[in-house]
Amino acid sequence: MSITRLKPIVLILALVLGLAGLVLYLSSYFIGLLLMLAAVIIVFAYRAASGEKEAAAEDARRLLRNLSVPAAGVAVAVLVGGILMLATGYDPVAAYRALFYGGFVKNWHISILNASPLIFTGLAVAFAFKASLFNIGAEGQYYVGAMVATYLGIFLKLPPLFSIILIFLVSGLLSALYNFIPALLKVRTGAHEVITTMMFAHIARYVSSIFIRGMGGDSAGPHPYVSDPILESNWLPRFQSILPRANYRLHAGILIAIAMAIFVHYILTRTKFGFEIRAVGQNPQAARMQGISVGKNIFRALLFAGFLAGLAGTNQVLGLEHKLFENLQAGYGWNGISVALLASNHPIGVIFASLLWGALDAGGQYMARTTQTPNAIVEIIKGIILFLVVARYLYVALRNRIKRRRRTAGEAA
Amino acid sequence: MDAFFSIFNENLLIATIRLATPITLAAIGATICERAGIVNIAMEGLMIIGAFFAATVSLLTGNPWLGLLAGVVAGGLFSLIHAVGCISFHLDHVVSGAVVNILAFGVARYLMVLFYGHPGTTDPIPRSLAEFQLAIPGLSRIPVIGRALFQQTPIVYISFVLVICFAILMKKTRLGLHIRAAGEHPLALETIGVSVFKMRYLAVVISGITSGFAGAFLSIENNVSFTEGMTGGRGFIALAANISGGWTPIGSFLAALFFGFADALQVRFQIIKLLPIPPELFIIFPYAATIVAVAGLVRRSRPPKEVGVDFIIEREEE
Amino acid sequence: MNKGQNRAVLLETRNISKQFPKVLANKDISIKLYENEILSLLGENGAGKSTLMNILYGLYKPTAGTILLDGQEVQFPSPKDAIRLGLGMVHQHFMLVETLTVAENIILGTEPGRLGFIDLKQARQEVVELSERYHLAIDPDAKIESLSVGLQQRVEILKALYRKARILILDEPTSVLTPQEVDQLFEVIRKLRDTDVSIIIITHKLEEVKAISDRVYILRRGEMVGERETEAVTQQELANLMVGRDVVLTVRKQAKTISAECILKLEEMVIQNDQGLDAVAGISLGVCPGEVVGIAGVDGNGQTELAEGIMGLRELSRGRIVFKNRDIHSLTTKERILEKISNVPADRHRFGLVLPMKVSENLVIGTHDIPPFIKGINLNLPVIAEHSRNLVASFDIRTPSIEVQAGHLSGGNQQKLILAREFSRDPDFLLVSQPTRGLDVGAIEYIHSQILKMRDRNVAILLISLELEEIFALSDRILVIYEGKIVKELIPEKTNEKEVGLYMTGGGTKEP
Repeated sequence: MSITRLKPIVLILALVLGLAGLVLYLSSYFIGLLLMLAAVIIVFAYRAASGEKEAAAEDARRLLRNLSVPAAGVAVAVLVGGILMLATGYDPVAAYRALFYGGFVKNWHISILNASPLIFTGLAVAFAFKASLFNIGAEGQYYVGAMVATYLGIFLKLPPLFSIILIFLVSGLLSALYNFIPALLKVRTGAHEVITTMMFAHIARYVSSIFIRGMGGDSAGPHPYVSDPILESNWLPRFQSILPRANYRLHAGILIAIAMAIFVHYILTRTKFGFEIRAVGQNPQAARMQGISVGKNIFRALLFAGFLAGLAGTNQVLGLEHKLFENLQAGYGWNGISVALLASNHPIGVIFASLLWGALDAGGQYMARTTQTPNAIVEIIKGIILFLVVARYLYVALRNRIKRRRRTAGEAA
Repeated sequence: MDAFFSIFNENLLIATIRLATPITLAAIGATICERAGIVNIAMEGLMIIGAFFAATVSLLTGNPWLGLLAGVVAGGLFSLIHAVGCISFHLDHVVSGAVVNILAFGVARYLMVLFYGHPGTTDPIPRSLAEFQLAIPGLSRIPVIGRALFQQTPIVYISFVLVICFAILMKKTRLGLHIRAAGEHPLALETIGVSVFKMRYLAVVISGITSGFAGAFLSIENNVSFTEGMTGGRGFIALAANISGGWTPIGSFLAALFFGFADALQVRFQIIKLLPIPPELFIIFPYAATIVAVAGLVRRSRPPKEVGVDFIIEREEE
Repeated sequence: MNKGQNRAVLLETRNISKQFPKVLANKDISIKLYENEILSLLGENGAGKSTLMNILYGLYKPTAGTILLDGQEVQFPSPKDAIRLGLGMVHQHFMLVETLTVAENIILGTEPGRLGFIDLKQARQEVVELSERYHLAIDPDAKIESLSVGLQQRVEILKALYRKARILILDEPTSVLTPQEVDQLFEVIRKLRDTDVSIIIITHKLEEVKAISDRVYILRRGEMVGERETEAVTQQELANLMVGRDVVLTVRKQAKTISAECILKLEEMVIQNDQGLDAVAGISLGVCPGEVVGIAGVDGNGQTELAEGIMGLRELSRGRIVFKNRDIHSLTTKERILEKISNVPADRHRFGLVLPMKVSENLVIGTHDIPPFIKGINLNLPVIAEHSRNLVASFDIRTPSIEVQAGHLSGGNQQKLILAREFSRDPDFLLVSQPTRGLDVGAIEYIHSQILKMRDRNVAILLISLELEEIFALSDRILVIYEGKIVKELIPEKTNEKEVGLYMTGGGTKEP
């Protein structure tokens, strides 16, 4: 029996193991980690056995190479951050220990909670980047999604599963439409989407203030600057309801986010929509020559990006906060951009970059509480990581120089 | 009718000029930058850095002029990150600009917590540049525009001077010619022996300096302290002003006036309370105006040919 | 024109080598330039001629070897130094800033004036004096973008002369000129030679070498493989030296009978360009299955808009376009592709390929959403891979795999990729623009033979080209386009390049 006939079984097994492992791990059952590892090993073993050994090895090699860049960035940023801390009178060792412990161990659930909205906004920015569009106003789309989710969350009374799915879809749709004018202007007049989406983002922020006031958050009321709470039937399910050891705030949003990332990856690599969007992003003139409509694909890219960013807001409202806070400094937009850049706009990479960012935030808060090192050092570390990762040319140039030096040294010898 | 004139009067003009100033300053910096071929979306972050350092040094020394200097120098230095990123590291200009913005916000926050112990707003400065308002004798008596143009505060005057200087620079000097060539046909410039890299670095630093002025205006002339996020999108509005102004200093100035007008109007509508509308809908004026401007409903013109395009010479040393 | 060896050597290179990361562009090149002579550097694309010139001009540093000027060893760390020592270069792609005026471009880098300000009046005056001295008439206040290509080249020459060049290097100077403009250029060069300016011409055109130069060096694969007095050498010998083997100089097409019913008919077609002017000002033509119709003309006479109109990328203002007896003006580009209209665009990097995409992806783009390449909304990757492997094999596309980026292929292989994609669609009509631009003789041979194979398969072919040699080699009929109209129809066997060139520049019409 040829091994390729086992392929569907292997895939399903890996999927089930991986998913189960993920959920368990998130709920603080660390055996989940082993299950996920097993899933990965099964996939690689299958590829090796079925004669794809070369391609599998090449993939593994490529993965390691791609990871080395962010790893180097993190290393240097940690170093520079440490020097900065020393220079301003804080203890870097204690600070980093607290940072790591807080982000990855003690408050791992907070890291996850931080990461879910970032995955959505990161995907939004990354997807638009594939079409060479800079959806810098993702934060505005976030607010639109959050507002719609809050409104429906307060008023929509349906059985929980229907309700939640409906809210996700409607809020995503409306935040997608929020990008309609920027897309239209881009296609019709060439107006730069950096400016238009950014302006719309500012507008959305102010509109959200009006909205919150209207939804019970006016300054004279019982809870100023916060909307009324949403119905409990519209809350995203919590892990604790099935797995008691999980942290009480951990909700299913992270699973939706990861599923969305896989979905986006699938669209980009396997469907004709992704193909056309990539072609338009990489060479719109050649794409036009082949009958691909540049305008239509710009619309698709920006609107779908709006959809994704809006889901970030929905995720926060339905899953974590259950109401809408007036938070003018949320930073989901810029953090989403960072995450997308960090992941080189790869949807799966966005998941890990978001987790890293989420962990840094969670660890930073823990560090600030326990060692009195200002949380803001984390912002600088993030900025340095970002800068170094994005400066890919540096690595290419460095690598070429090392290669050349070795070659000329070899020739001289 | 009374209500109409309570809004549309001389004070509106004064406020327009005043509120246009940070946008003017950032926009003419963007003009020079883009003429040389570099897209700079980092002006928002550079303004924040300028604003922070201006306020902090004013506070520390009690002298707002030193604060101004500090803000300008800080803006110029910080802009080098963008310059290095897109010129030497060949990053995509928009990506590099976004990274600089992120870095700027982070640095501002860190330093705030470091110096003041808390994020948010700094302590008020003892003397603001607004105290140094100067009325030019004679000229300031001209009806309607006299006070708006000739009875203003220092940085506003500086912005006028810079607009004129930049206009002369671009049209009539060697440097201006080289900057224009760097954005249209950098290889031509390089083959004549003028370094495109140097031109572009210079252009970016110039935009950093003007953004520093703009930030300083926001914190120590139009206000008495620094608040996080006080730039409110002006860095991006300035980009729109440059585009609407056709990539010229005078054009950028006129476009900035348009946005300043929207800003001034919005404040007045809030105060006068003409209609029972939430104030936020007025605050949105400038942003909506920017979208309208950028959609080409104001003016259409061509950007420099090689703006945003990376320039690599396949030169020498291995 | 004295040829005695007692002439002074103006410029000499000794054993110049240049190593790039992946390729040895120049190996041990030693050449001499005498006073008062016109020297040619002949070689295929990639032979190393431009590299050598860029070294002489200070853009590159040689990895080995020396340069001597007037017998003294010199170095050119930057173009400024080369200019200072009297070298001037006219590049193939002009180094002119389009939005600036002629005067501003000429003085760029050496502007007259004080304290950083430019004295524009003096600049104008100097330019006028210069153009009078060398009889190169030009309007100093004209913006470059408003000048013809021939005039722009004149500005480039004036730029070099303004800086007192004694050696003028021209890189592929005739590639953008009409035959008449070429004659004018040669006149100017001869005059310059007589006024103490020596000229080096870099070219891959054999007739040019014979027409204008006194001596020629032949480069091949980075090495200098021959030096000849041009009077004493034949074109065939030059071609063989250039390529290293015996070369078929023209691909012979078989005469054949052409079916009478035209598959594509353009009737009084009018198309506007981006500025709102009529770029195509009323063209009527027909192309029949099995014939190659060649459109000859100088760049900018409406060819681009014509091609865009046929492919549906630009609307017709008036007139009809009829394909297989159907008016197709309302069909989108996509629909025209489905109607079996294929297109090889003029600029392979800008319009022909998505360079960051894989070879396999570039081979199916355009038909990627048609079965069998698609299954529902999913791309059928195995089928696409199989299809790509077949095309790579049958079109001899040299690539390590179908998964590499198209940008990593050489120019010739990229063009083969485009041909493979368009030809494999089994078209009934083929629009081919500039198919061999920038390619070497070997690649040109291959592509011409592929086009003729399509002709043999009874495909109707419309060829738009700026290379008269190509037009003559492939066409059954030649239509000359000038200012958006077809001004003349000629049969290649009954005419010559001079006559075609005449019509290309508006001559030969019966207007008063």
